[in-house]
Amino acid sequence: MSFHFSRIFSASTPLWFCPFRPFFLFAAAQGALAMAAWLGMLTGLLPLPKVAGGAIVWHAHEMLFGFAMAALAGFLLTAVPEFTGQPPMPRRRLQWLVALWLAGRLAFACAGTLAAWLAALCDLVLLSMLIGSIAGPLWRQPDRRHIAFVYALLALLFTHSGFYFALLAGDDAMPWLRLAIGVLMALIIVALSRISMRLINDILAAQGTETAPYLARPPRRALAIFAIAAYSVGEFLLPGNAVAGWLALAAASAIANLLNDWHIGRALCQRWVLIPYLIYVCMALGYALIGVGRLSGMEATSAGEHLLVVGALGLAILVVMAVAGSIHSGWGLDHRGWLPLAAGLLCLATVLRALAEWPAAVIAENGLAASALIWFAAWLIYLANAVRILAGPRPDGKQACDETHQGNC
Amino acid sequence: MAWLTATGRYLWCGWGSLASLFLFLALWEYAAQHFGPLILPTPGEAFGTLAELFSSGAAWPEILVTARRALLGYGLALSLGSLLGLLVGLSVTASVLARPIVTLLVGTPPVAWLILALLWFGAGDGTPVFTVFIACFPIVFVGAMQGTRTLDGQLQAVAQMFGLPWWMKLADVYFPHVVSYLFPGWITALGTAWKVVVMAELLATSDGVGAALAVTRSHLDTAASMAWIVALVGSLLAIEYLLLEPIKRKIESWRTFA
Repeated sequence: MSFHFSRIFSASTPLWFCPFRPFFLFAAAQGALAMAAWLGMLTGLLPLPKVAGGAIVWHAHEMLFGFAMAALAGFLLTAVPEFTGQPPMPRRRLQWLVALWLAGRLAFACAGTLAAWLAALCDLVLLSMLIGSIAGPLWRQPDRRHIAFVYALLALLFTHSGFYFALLAGDDAMPWLRLAIGVLMALIIVALSRISMRLINDILAAQGTETAPYLARPPRRALAIFAIAAYSVGEFLLPGNAVAGWLALAAASAIANLLNDWHIGRALCQRWVLIPYLIYVCMALGYALIGVGRLSGMEATSAGEHLLVVGALGLAILVVMAVAGSIHSGWGLDHRGWLPLAAGLLCLATVLRALAEWPAAVIAENGLAASALIWFAAWLIYLANAVRILAGPRPDGKQACDETHQGNC
Repeated sequence: MAWLTATGRYLWCGWGSLASLFLFLALWEYAAQHFGPLILPTPGEAFGTLAELFSSGAAWPEILVTARRALLGYGLALSLGSLLGLLVGLSVTASVLARPIVTLLVGTPPVAWLILALLWFGAGDGTPVFTVFIACFPIVFVGAMQGTRTLDGQLQAVAQMFGLPWWMKLADVYFPHVVSYLFPGWITALGTAWKVVVMAELLATSDGVGAALAVTRSHLDTAASMAWIVALVGSLLAIEYLLLEPIKRKIESWRTFA
């Protein structure tokens, strides 16, 4: 037993080669397990958890600050050293971060009020350490072109702190989680622009097409982020107000406006382009649904928010983990069929989850469960295909985060 | 097919404008909630009233009357202004002569013309039509004049040298250049026509959108006033972005190659 433990924690185990490896693994596991638990609670197989804030807060928090946070940490701790040309973080420090994340999940799951303190401590220290690791290098870059990540993480720290303050004070903590959704949407736009610029232009170059190169244009991005921020703050300050409805429509339009960058002809049908495109489609539809529902008096905020988190956030995490995970572990882009399958399942889960809010739905009860089940299946598929990549040795025998230059597997 | 793609692209670019319009509506909504319905109705109330006006059939006759007047005045200004402007632009002397007069016409406020028109034409169609005409004319005239004044002499010489037939010179050398000056003038004039006709109706006639606005004002019906204003501005935006701007892009496509 102790032999196994020492093997897992030994810094030369492939799992610790690079920060994305443990974090992506745990993110996918959390995505699957937390949803399975939620499915159990929905169907009455599991008792509702006795956590501070109630079961819905637990569900929302674990998906946003458990699942998404792990994926975010893995991505940033891998991408920022690459952007700035610095070595990846020391493996011991990485192990501490992962331990903090795990402890936070455990503490929150057991949270009566007492353990909520513990969860707050673990989660907020993790987020602060994450900011501490990436802020310096990004700030020292001559043109500070990636500094938006730091601002977004600071906003995330603010909302997460606010969440725990509200939770511990016994107030309604959901508005803070809604605010966090806005921050995550902005983060998706920031991160995706960096990833897609390279990925799509590589594909266009490989195809030898003569269309104009893909450019993620900063003013459009800034408008979309501004509109999302305006909606999130508006909804936070004036919950349920029509003002937020208009702002949601503005956000939807600004995101649809982003898609102008993506209309690059036939290359759009490639999976590496289509999945990111669908992320923005889900995001725009989500905000549009929130806005239209609010203004027409047929409140659809929950359905819209699930379009944002199941559709946009779920797809974004899937594609980022699939791309960054296989490139930085030396395997090259993964062209196998499981990725479109998992992405398709996530889209299906999104549609079902949104339809489950339909007033006269036969699928209302079954829709929730079916959507959760499909989401669960999608992450199982990811895990089944990624465990070997994330926890196994590199094909080139190195022990680093280097990208492959050998082409595709 | 390429044209279809370009149109689709152009329409999709509209999302950016929509985003800023929605932000504006959010501000309006906030202000309306703050000040109350008597000062400022919410966008929802204004749109609702507008929809009612349309579904009850009360809106169409007024809009048709107003559109007829605006288009008549605008059409007169367009044809006369363009023709005279193009002709005057051919002669330097005429241009020098025309400039102070145009300045005078532009400088006179439309309300002053309206008063004169009331004296001359009375309270009928003539007053708004004339006011629209006189407000739009100098704008179109200046554009047309600039168009012929700035024709490229070298291009003319080249066309001459190659012995282009007159209709080819007209269609491929003169027309594209002149239109690039005329068109902005036409668009500005259209906006002016739409604004001026309502003002003229408000003060001078008993029918049309302007008169309807006067009635809503006297009834302190802010929601209906806003509804009419929304209809006016909305139709202007639609004409400009869905009709004129695409035509302009089509006609000015040579500029990207020039």
